[in-house]
Amino acid sequence: MNSIQKKILLLSAIVLFSMTFIWGLLSYYNQQTQERYNRILQRYLRMNEVTGLSQHTVTALNNYLLAPSPSQLHDLDTSKDQLIQAKQLVAELKNKDNEFTLANYMNMIDSLLDATDLSLMFFGQKNNEAATTRFSDATRISQYIAETTLTLIDKELKTYDDFYRGIIKQSDALKKLGFLILGLITVLMLLFAYWFSLGMTRPIQKLIFAARELSRGRFDLKIDVQSNDEIAFLARTFDRMRIDINNLISEIQHTAQLEIELQENRLHLKESQLRSLQSQINPHFLFNTLDTLSKKAFLEGSRQTSDLIVSVAGLLRYNLRHLDRAVTLRDERDVLLKYIDIQRARFPDRLRFVLEVDEDCLHVALPSLTLQPIIENAVIHGIEPLEDGGTITFRVYDGGEFVAVEIEDDGEGMPEEKIRQLFDGGGDPGQGHSTGIGFSNVVRRLKLFYGRDDVIDVISNPEQGTKVVLRLPTAIEKGESA
Amino acid sequence: MRKWYIYLLSIGCAVILYFTVFYTVKVLNAGLVGPGEPSDPDGGYRFVLITRERDTPFWNQVKDGALASAKRNGVSLEAWESYNRNEDEFMKNLDIAIASKVDGIIVQGLDTLEFKQLTMYRATESGIPVITVANDVPMNESLRKTYVGSNHYEAGQMVARQLLSDMGFSGKVVLMAADRQEEYQRSRLNGIIDALSGYPNIRVEIVATGTTREQIVQATNQYMNQHPDIEAFITTTGSNVSAVIQALGRRSKVDPYFIYSFDDNPEALTLLKQGKIDALVAQSPEAMGQESVDLMVRWLKGELLPLNSDGYFTDIRVLKAGSADE
Repeated sequence: MNSIQKKILLLSAIVLFSMTFIWGLLSYYNQQTQERYNRILQRYLRMNEVTGLSQHTVTALNNYLLAPSPSQLHDLDTSKDQLIQAKQLVAELKNKDNEFTLANYMNMIDSLLDATDLSLMFFGQKNNEAATTRFSDATRISQYIAETTLTLIDKELKTYDDFYRGIIKQSDALKKLGFLILGLITVLMLLFAYWFSLGMTRPIQKLIFAARELSRGRFDLKIDVQSNDEIAFLARTFDRMRIDINNLISEIQHTAQLEIELQENRLHLKESQLRSLQSQINPHFLFNTLDTLSKKAFLEGSRQTSDLIVSVAGLLRYNLRHLDRAVTLRDERDVLLKYIDIQRARFPDRLRFVLEVDEDCLHVALPSLTLQPIIENAVIHGIEPLEDGGTITFRVYDGGEFVAVEIEDDGEGMPEEKIRQLFDGGGDPGQGHSTGIGFSNVVRRLKLFYGRDDVIDVISNPEQGTKVVLRLPTAIEKGESA
Repeated sequence: MRKWYIYLLSIGCAVILYFTVFYTVKVLNAGLVGPGEPSDPDGGYRFVLITRERDTPFWNQVKDGALASAKRNGVSLEAWESYNRNEDEFMKNLDIAIASKVDGIIVQGLDTLEFKQLTMYRATESGIPVITVANDVPMNESLRKTYVGSNHYEAGQMVARQLLSDMGFSGKVVLMAADRQEEYQRSRLNGIIDALSGYPNIRVEIVATGTTREQIVQATNQYMNQHPDIEAFITTTGSNVSAVIQALGRRSKVDPYFIYSFDDNPEALTLLKQGKIDALVAQSPEAMGQESVDLMVRWLKGELLPLNSDGYFTDIRVLKAGSADE
């Protein structure tokens, strides 16, 4: 993810490449022009060289004829050799237009050399007159060569006239082209740089805007940055952070809400306990009295009454002792059974209770006094209104990741509205409940205890009864909160 | 605002791009094409046509004919002309041609010692064949290979015959000859004189006129003063005739005189059309040029050995005043 670096490198590379390309192109053309100039000059120089060399040969011949000496002869031979070489170079200058003249030119050089040789030969034979004649021939031919050089150069100028003008035009155009390309590159680079900087700064501006909004406490604006570099990454991270913070805040708010409610309930409970303690008898005195009553009943042979009193005492003790603590499902079941005993005594014929418990699942932790209010609710709605009574089924079984607890009655069932009321804690809380703890309180405590919403579910069909399902996670992350 | 800047930049960019492409195309299509390669690396035969008269209609036609023939035969030929009968330049050209070792020289003959020496010795020594064209120099004096051109003697006779048919068999005839007795003029004179010699009633005078216009006018005047009873003029070159007519025109009407000339140059043709010249002998300069080159090529290739040393005569014809339109 080094895309900004890549972009900058790309920009630099493009600038560098285009500059190099243009520099190379212009240099190439300049060099070509230079080479052309060199070739042209070379042509002229070669032609001119022949004139000089032919004159030099004649001069050397003259010197030798006047004062023959080996050094003069050597000088003559040298200039002759040079002339021959120059002739070979001149031969390369042949083209369609100067073909004829150039052939003449080269033959003239030959004639000059022939005349020189003849002159030397006659001079060697002491035939001075013939030597002088040949010398004058050579002189004349040398003049012709000089003239023909001029003719050739003249022809050259005519032949290459268009060519030379073309070169001038081309170099002129090249100069203009150089400036134009420079201008073009400048403008293009300006545009490109603008586009490039826009591509970098626009996401940054968006980020800045988003940060400002966040700092003002608006967490609901989505941060959307369309680019393919680090800034997009930054924006995505930032956005995720925003979402996380948003979630956290709403969670905290949610939890706080629950806490407040719970606190209220607790206060309510404490108040009621206090009230019951104040208005009623001291629990120890009550328990002792209940014990005494139970034993007396037992002694009097009323065993059933004795058991009932023990159950009531146990229930009361449990209620007073365990309210703030997490307990196991086993404890809850035991209390539940005690409660059922008491209710059976109330509705000896109408209440039928079915117990289907998987003993292996009873170690699961849950807040105390969870099941009793639910059962109580079932008794209130499923048994009390019915003349014939009803059946309450209590099931505990292993559901994999959780332990399912089902409390089912076969009463009239509840309309949706009623169920919602149950969850919201509407109606009059505590009314008709032995412990003063309502269904909604149970729901809230369960949610708080497990930190999730899907712990409890109520399924109700009219005329078929109501089923409350608790899904208690086997692995509890939260230790104790209720 | 920013958008405007971008629009402006884009437009500027497009304009610059247009000009850039324009100049790029210009640079790429500079058309820097040098002259072509030599047609034949070894070169075919190289001939030169050396004349003393530049840009005269007659010699231009000779040149055209020669160049056409050279092209047809695949030989290269250059015409080296010197101005106004500049003999020094002419001789130098000839010398250069010899020094240049051309394969053949076609030259306007010049009846001077210098010319003869140059052609006799130097050209022959270098093995360069020489053909005279239009103007001849006798073979035994110049060692030329052959001559291509009009038979001037015959032309003279034709003029003389025309004169006889126009004027009758008696009268006074003056022959205006240029100062320099060149071979062709001499032949023409000989032709005329020989043709007229059979008629004793015809008196023939020869006047040397010189070559400049003033000289000719002066010579004509002088002669007219001395011999006012003249009936016919024959100029041996076409270029003289207008000066003679000018001189005559200042004195009297031109019509009564019988005036004859050679060479169908435009000036003479105009005068012929006007009826001031009664007849002139036309030559075939183009044929001369063509045939001289043809002969040279055939001789060099050995197809025609030896060349007829008397010469190859090209067509001559008499143009009369009435038929000058043709």
